[in-house]
Amino acid sequence: MTDNQETQPDVSQFCPKGDVLVIGEQILGDLQPVTLELLGAGRILADKMGQPLKCLIMGHNLGDIPQRLIEYGADEVFVADSPELHVYRTLPYRRVVCDFLDSLSAPPHTCLLGSTTTGRDLAPRIAAHFETGLTADCTELDIGPYEHKSKVDPTKIGLYPNCLYAIRPSFGESLKARILGPWKNPQMATTRPGVMVPNKQDPNRQGKITPIPVNLKQEDFRLIVADTVREISKGVKLTEADVIVAGGFGLGGPEGFDLLRELAAQFENSAVAASRKVVDLGWIPYQHQVGQTGKTVRPKLYIAAGISGAIQHRVGMSKSGIIIAINKDPDSPIFKFAHHGIVGDCNQVISEMIKQLKAVKSGKGVEAVVGSH
Amino acid sequence: MSSGLNIFVLVKQVPDQGSKAGINPDGTIDRAKAKRMLNPFDRFALQAALHAKKNYGGKVSAISMGPPPAVEILLECLEHGVDDAYLLSDRRLAASDTLATAFALFKTVAHVGKPDLVFCGLQTTDGDTAQVGPQLAERMGLPQITYCEDFSIEGNKVHGRRIIEGGYQKVVSEMPLLITVANSYHPLEYKSFRGAWRVQRLARNEEELKKYIHTVDLDLVGADPERTGLKGSPTIVAATEKVGEIGGNCRMHEGQSIDHLVKDVVKETNLAQFMTV
Ligand SMILES: Cc1cc2nc3c(=O)[nH]c(=O)nc-3n(C[C@H](O)[C@H](O)[C@H](O)COP(=O)(O)OP(=O)(O)OC[C@H]3O[C@@H](n4cnc5c(N)ncnc54)[C@H](O)[C@@H]3O)c2cc1C
Ligand SMILES: Cc1cc2nc3c(=O)[nH]c(=O)nc-3n(C[C@H](O)[C@H](O)[C@H](O)COP(=O)(O)OP(=O)(O)OC[C@H]3O[C@@H](n4cnc5c(N)ncnc54)[C@H](O)[C@@H]3O)c2cc1C
Repeated sequence: MTDNQETQPDVSQFCPKGDVLVIGEQILGDLQPVTLELLGAGRILADKMGQPLKCLIMGHNLGDIPQRLIEYGADEVFVADSPELHVYRTLPYRRVVCDFLDSLSAPPHTCLLGSTTTGRDLAPRIAAHFETGLTADCTELDIGPYEHKSKVDPTKIGLYPNCLYAIRPSFGESLKARILGPWKNPQMATTRPGVMVPNKQDPNRQGKITPIPVNLKQEDFRLIVADTVREISKGVKLTEADVIVAGGFGLGGPEGFDLLRELAAQFENSAVAASRKVVDLGWIPYQHQVGQTGKTVRPKLYIAAGISGAIQHRVGMSKSGIIIAINKDPDSPIFKFAHHGIVGDCNQVISEMIKQLKAVKSGKGVEAVVGSH
Repeated sequence: MSSGLNIFVLVKQVPDQGSKAGINPDGTIDRAKAKRMLNPFDRFALQAALHAKKNYGGKVSAISMGPPPAVEILLECLEHGVDDAYLLSDRRLAASDTLATAFALFKTVAHVGKPDLVFCGLQTTDGDTAQVGPQLAERMGLPQITYCEDFSIEGNKVHGRRIIEGGYQKVVSEMPLLITVANSYHPLEYKSFRGAWRVQRLARNEEELKKYIHTVDLDLVGADPERTGLKGSPTIVAATEKVGEIGGNCRMHEGQSIDHLVKDVVKETNLAQFMTV
């Protein structure tokens, strides 16, 4: 690589080392887990470059949140506090982030947000404003060199020593693509919730908390939030259950959940869960929802009945011990990641399962019920 | 607004991943061979645009950026009832990332007119970033409702419901506004027989068709080519790696009577271990 200096100009000035900035997220004062995950991932990137990890958090009356961000790995936390920032809204949050980045003497090297409904709403606006690259929904991040050889733009040829490697699954998760944006800082990415690993909270960790100004403009108020409804945290101990029996649209109606409850009752420490689609249809309350915008669960056994296995559902349950999927469509995506797939009508299969489990319990054994082949 | 709403819907043609045609062994897509289709998420955006027109009056224009075959999805939009369509097609757009795409679409939108409402799909099934909508809104200086599941219009205000983690938000926004429509919105209705018939007839007459589908390029919409395509794209795909089908080792039980299927699974997973005593 060193033999030809002419084709290898030093282009490190395009993306010099710098801060790693995490844009934190809270909903009604509830710090979102993805922020802690980002601090975990961001800490590794910052240490690799020997640079500080910083975090920006926006909201109102944030209490101990800034301190917690330090305990989870941030060296400095910037706090934008205003009643207007109490609930997330695109334009006011966008304004604060853009003003903040503009106020810095040099842009951060890397800027990270969660691939949540908030992060995916905000990050593209920031990236477009600064005309910088943004990689969506990453599952791995790293820092490393990149050698650019393409002659499309000769001024860009050279070795970039410190690039953000933003790695994301693509084409239905069958490929992993490493995406770079080395031409300029900040290099931006959003990461998929539940993937990055947070650091252990360290109550002795020291850091700086710096308030930043909030200067909103009239045009930032073109959209108002009339109501924010969150129902997920009440009742239903989904996250502690050993066995989860989950139902989706394939159940055919709310009655389907009666069968699921009966099946769940056969198991020790069990709970009933659902896809978002049936929650939205009102078949079962929100608290039962599993997935990106519901709960993330990790039971020993997950039975999915009439659920297609959309990515937003999968991210909430794919780490379960044994996944049994029941679906009448043999090509359903859920069979791509379940461990056992039963092709058939879910209500019939569940009824049969209940029957057989009851037989096992009563000591008759399965053979007696089914007969031998 | 006596003349009704000016409604734009943005649609993208994507490879049909359900069909195996054109899927290379390494998992990448050979776009020339692959079957093509309207991005499934854009069907919800199209339905939302048609709803807005039906319920509140106005005109719907469909806009797409892509190679010439993308005209197929614009014909499909016409069949469903959009009033006219624009295809931005230009070789210099090749390898555009989301920023470059949003810039080119911004210029195209400005060329077409001044919308009250711009509808986008939530994301695509190929690039799958969900970034183009908000980036276009940023360029246009508009407020946005992303992940929108439902909406209604009163006067100049749009009332929308958007998905958030663990619940939803109800928001009210002024127009002009950009909305990305969630896949929990109403599914696209079947095209009417008349609509399909009319468009089939149109498609046979190139001169007549040109009145409904306008093909434009970067020069016509006044977009600086340096800001589109490979040159205008801040991201590069540096490497891809095949990870195979995730999991991919699901043990399938099918083809037998249900009692036998269930018996096999109960045994193989030792379901009894999880039971109450
Ligand atoms: C921002 C966002 C966040 C989201 N968050 C979540 C989330 O947290 N959780 C979540 O679950 N979803 C979420 N979704 C929705 C997700 O994309 C899917 O739409 C949803 O998971 C689908 O639910 P489903 O599988 O029940 O329904 P469908 O996709 O309609 O699937 C029904 C399945 O049942 C099968 N079936 C039909 N009849 C039968 C029968 N008689 N017997 C057996 N099988 C049958 C069908 O073959 C099909 O596979 C989110 C979407 C967005 C955009
Ligand atoms: C595997 C892979 C990974 C990629 N990762 C990234 C990445 O991380 N960052 C990045 O910047 N680029 C990325 N790209 C490039 C990106 O896919 C293209 O820029 C593409 O033109 C638009 O992005 P999208 O398909 O993700 O659209 P999305 O942002 O997912 O699309 C949302 C909506 O915008 C509208 N829209 C999008 N494209 C068009 C169009 N051509 N015409 C009309 N309307 C449209 C539609 O309404 C659509 O539903 C990736 C491409 C591939 C193949």
